[in-house]
Amino acid sequence: MLLNYIKIAWKVLLRHPFYTFITLFGISLTLTVLMVLTSFLDHLIGSHYPETKRDRTLYVMQMHLQDSSRTSSSNGPMSFKFLTDYAKSLKTAERVTITTFINSSNAYVGSQKIKLNTKFTDADFWQVTSFEFLEGKPYNEQNIANGDNVAVITDDFKKHYFENSSEPVVGKDVEIENIHYKVIGVVKASPVTRPFTYADVFFPYTAPKSNYQGTGMRGGYVAMILGKDKADLPAIQEEFQSHIDRIPLPIIQDGTKFAVMDVKSVPYLENFLGSILNGNPGMKAIFFGIIFFVLFMLMGLPAINLVNINVSRIMERASEIGIRKAFGAPIRTLMWQFIVENIFITFIGGAIALILTFIVIHLINTSGMIAYADLTINLYVFVISIVVCLLFGLLSGVLPALRMSKLNIAEALKS
Amino acid sequence: MISHLLKLIWNKKKAHALLIVEIWASFMVLFGLATLIVVNVRNYREPMGFTYENVWAVGLKSNQDTVAIAEKLQRVTQRLKAYPEVESVSRMSSNFPFSANTMNNGIEYNKRKVMADFYATDENFAKTLDIAVTEGKWYQYADSVGKYTPLVINQKVKEELFENENPLGKIIGEKFKVVGVVNTFKSKGEFMSDKPAVFELFKPDATWNDTVLVKVKPGTDAVFEAKLVKEIAAMMTGWNVEVDYLTDSRKNQHNLVLVPIIIALIVSSFLLINVALGLFGVLNLSIAKRRGEIGLRRALGATGNGISTQFIGEIWVLATFALLIGLLFAAQFPLLNVFDVKSGTYVTAILIAMLIIYGIVTLCAFFPSRQAAGIQPATALHEE
Repeated sequence: MLLNYIKIAWKVLLRHPFYTFITLFGISLTLTVLMVLTSFLDHLIGSHYPETKRDRTLYVMQMHLQDSSRTSSSNGPMSFKFLTDYAKSLKTAERVTITTFINSSNAYVGSQKIKLNTKFTDADFWQVTSFEFLEGKPYNEQNIANGDNVAVITDDFKKHYFENSSEPVVGKDVEIENIHYKVIGVVKASPVTRPFTYADVFFPYTAPKSNYQGTGMRGGYVAMILGKDKADLPAIQEEFQSHIDRIPLPIIQDGTKFAVMDVKSVPYLENFLGSILNGNPGMKAIFFGIIFFVLFMLMGLPAINLVNINVSRIMERASEIGIRKAFGAPIRTLMWQFIVENIFITFIGGAIALILTFIVIHLINTSGMIAYADLTINLYVFVISIVVCLLFGLLSGVLPALRMSKLNIAEALKS
Repeated sequence: MISHLLKLIWNKKKAHALLIVEIWASFMVLFGLATLIVVNVRNYREPMGFTYENVWAVGLKSNQDTVAIAEKLQRVTQRLKAYPEVESVSRMSSNFPFSANTMNNGIEYNKRKVMADFYATDENFAKTLDIAVTEGKWYQYADSVGKYTPLVINQKVKEELFENENPLGKIIGEKFKVVGVVNTFKSKGEFMSDKPAVFELFKPDATWNDTVLVKVKPGTDAVFEAKLVKEIAAMMTGWNVEVDYLTDSRKNQHNLVLVPIIIALIVSSFLLINVALGLFGVLNLSIAKRRGEIGLRRALGATGNGISTQFIGEIWVLATFALLIGLLFAAQFPLLNVFDVKSGTYVTAILIAMLIIYGIVTLCAFFPSRQAAGIQPATALHEE
């Protein structure tokens, strides 16, 4: 039976190539946009290289300080000392790393200038993240204790800085802002969209210019707290909060007295959306309003379009429906047939969309718009797309089917 | 004529309801897109107020060094001036043009308040960035002996604080004295709106103004830059020295604005093509269904043009319905002032969106209506 429906749907598709084109264009375009969008969101917030353990990691990104009269406030990363005292000492965590957030610098090779991002990290950084070492090894506690001027560089920086990039460079010298560092390891570069781990050159925090000696609350450092298991995260958050609650208020920072201090260890996404989700209701309403509107337009407009065409084209098949009705086919069977046909067409559109998405993602990855982008279509993206396909098929099939089932037999057979 | 068209449409209201929803939704998408573009085009047309070619921003960071910061900063500035490749040097706060940093403060005069971007600069700022002073003059260290800090404001501040008064010599907030007015200063690039901005002269011994703008002679390249960074870094042990080209920073700021617009433009145009194709298909089908009616009209003496005008007229009436509903929604934006955008912008955007909608529906109805006009009454009525 199902096979019959699909055969009929295929014949209908072939009958009017123009309408088939409109239908498939709408479906595949919408699904492509949605799939690229999900893939991009997954690229931003999912667990990917080098933060493959992101799902069991808590991030401490911002400290919020406010004075009692609420006129001045200070937001941003924290000092190395603060994080050592209150985050590094967590007992429930598997491992905690402290690293600078975003620093930039320049290096010069002959008449060439290389813009680069640098990071000062502790030794645990290499355990919390899963960087792939192409050469050499990470710096360890010993290097840090000695205050060695060593650096881990990315393969991309190696390519730009060293003339002969096919040779191993471990042990060679890199000069950045007049200081010479010895290359100790080379890692595969990570995308710029992961600010906690993105850099071209990594230094131990005891290297010059890292400012880890600062004694205030604020500074340039953030922390990543790795739990043994995803289920451990609430316990870690609780312990961290209890550490924070121990800090006596008010705090004096840069000559200003702050009565309110707020630091949170939160999953990755909350770092960036926290200010909107916890902000005032108006802001939240606008934010979700816009997202809802965009999604509605993206999905709704092509769906309405499809319904419109399907409803108009019903008459083409009036005689077929009339005959089936005359021979006693119940309304339910007819509706079911129409919905199956629609879902079949949607899946053809979905297959085209999948190919288009592969092309678009490949273009984004190779265009260099996002350095080292690694967008993929993973299982998650694929499942979402199939669900959307089904929804789309149902949405655009139900109304025409209803319209059809109401058709008068005599009138349908007249034509 | 129109009442007749209305009757025709009303008789098929169920089938037309979906068309109206579709046109309404397209209008909303177009309205959003047009607003975005109109806002940015308006901003783009206002002059930026300064030049950025061949200007480098040298960022200096003292790190753990706390000894005699002000003297060191002054020494670096002097050293930079001495290079033959350098035309002009100016030290300023870290919110240099096209940077990601902003600093703003409220200023008040005669109970009128305005939030303004603050830029702490020295006396060479206007010269380095070629800023034209329209009233008064740019401040000099020589004439800042009084107890007031000299201030240069932009036209926007002048309008909002002083209206028709002459701002020169006025005291703001018991601390600043206005000595000059510049036209516009859009520090985040051409796409930034013209916001209130003030420039204050910092004291020579200030320690936190750690960015030096260097205007180099045309053709100066990275070899000089490497030499400069090396020498400055050698002069100040433990400091960070980082050079940004303003042309590069400008490109970054532009991408922040342009990339979302381009993505929105691509997605919306695909949506609209989709809608246009669908509309075309639906009209084509509906005309095919009305062959009998058309044949009868032709037989009774209607011209081909009359028939095609009727169909285009019908779709126009439909579109007008949809647009009226759309206007109800779109009008909320200027009325409630949801975003900080002038209502004139919304009106322009609404007009553009309406024009495009009418254009699309006419285009979609044109071909089917020409086809309808070509229907021969004999064949059409014979089929019946």
